[in-house]
Amino acid sequence: MPNIDFRSDLLPLKNKLFRLALRITMDAVEAEDVTEDTLIRVWEKRSELENIRSLEAYCLTVCRNLALDRHNLRANQNDSLDDTDHEAIDVAPSPLDQLVNSDNLARVREIFARLPERQRTMLQLRDIEGLRHSQIAEIMQTSEETVKVTICRARQRMRKDFETIENYGL
Amino acid sequence: MDYKYIEQLLTRYFEAETSIEEEQILRAFFRQDNLPENLCHFAPLFATLDEEATCTLPDSFDDRVLQRISETAQQVVRAERPTLLNVIRPWLQAAAAVVIVVLTGFGAQRAFDRSDNAAWDYNPASFQNSYDNPQQAYKVLENGLELFRRTAQADSVMAPLESKTLQK
Repeated sequence: MPNIDFRSDLLPLKNKLFRLALRITMDAVEAEDVTEDTLIRVWEKRSELENIRSLEAYCLTVCRNLALDRHNLRANQNDSLDDTDHEAIDVAPSPLDQLVNSDNLARVREIFARLPERQRTMLQLRDIEGLRHSQIAEIMQTSEETVKVTICRARQRMRKDFETIENYGL
Repeated sequence: MDYKYIEQLLTRYFEAETSIEEEQILRAFFRQDNLPENLCHFAPLFATLDEEATCTLPDSFDDRVLQRISETAQQVVRAERPTLLNVIRPWLQAAAAVVIVVLTGFGAQRAFDRSDNAAWDYNPASFQNSYDNPQQAYKVLENGLELFRRTAQADSVMAPLESKTLQK
């Protein structure tokens, strides 16, 4: 990919990178920083990226690594990120259908957030960003088969956990 | 209405066997309002995914990151500006290499080539005075003879010693 232009090649990826960073760090401020660092880092390395196949995949890989670094750093300093997210589940159920519905969304989001990082990231890349298995394999530096198996587990766990909550009204 | 196709897609979706296009069909299906009873409990799963896809950065982000880019760009330009010495350094090195080779060549030629040295002239008729002052000439000659005497004496002392060690 010769002659990378910041405004037309890198900046349009910002929301994708932000969503991935958010999925990993679970913190909007931190995810914003990660996105910024990712764009700057790729931009500074642009002269070395002439033979790169997909700039998007490369950016997502850098973004994931930076987000994981930050997450690990914060996990060492503070409580586990997973603990802080449990508050969301305490929202009182509302009698109104609409509110029940949005409550359900909050529950699904909560289940999503509790998936292991690899499942969460792969599901994010597939079901939210709509990437192919081969692209996800490239970003996660693994095989396509592993991607499929991981996504399958993530989806089944989402379904199982959601059905459990729904059936027992947790 | 028959939802066999959707049900089949759903099963394959949870097995991670669906293509991106098939997943888009599923997502579009679950976006509609009147879902059949047996399928509607999946709606929140897909609605959440739709909702999460709309999550974006604040507008201030662009300005901030572009500001950082322009700052780093200036730094890069400053760092990459070449000095005059850096530009001519390769040529200086080449010139130095040539000078070394040429000097070594000349030196070797002078050391080995004696053809231009005139043969020693032993004819007394062509001798010339080296010193204007006879006193000085006499002293130099005396010193030379004294040196010769000492050398000869040292040889005569050493000679018996050497013959003795050889005999042993």
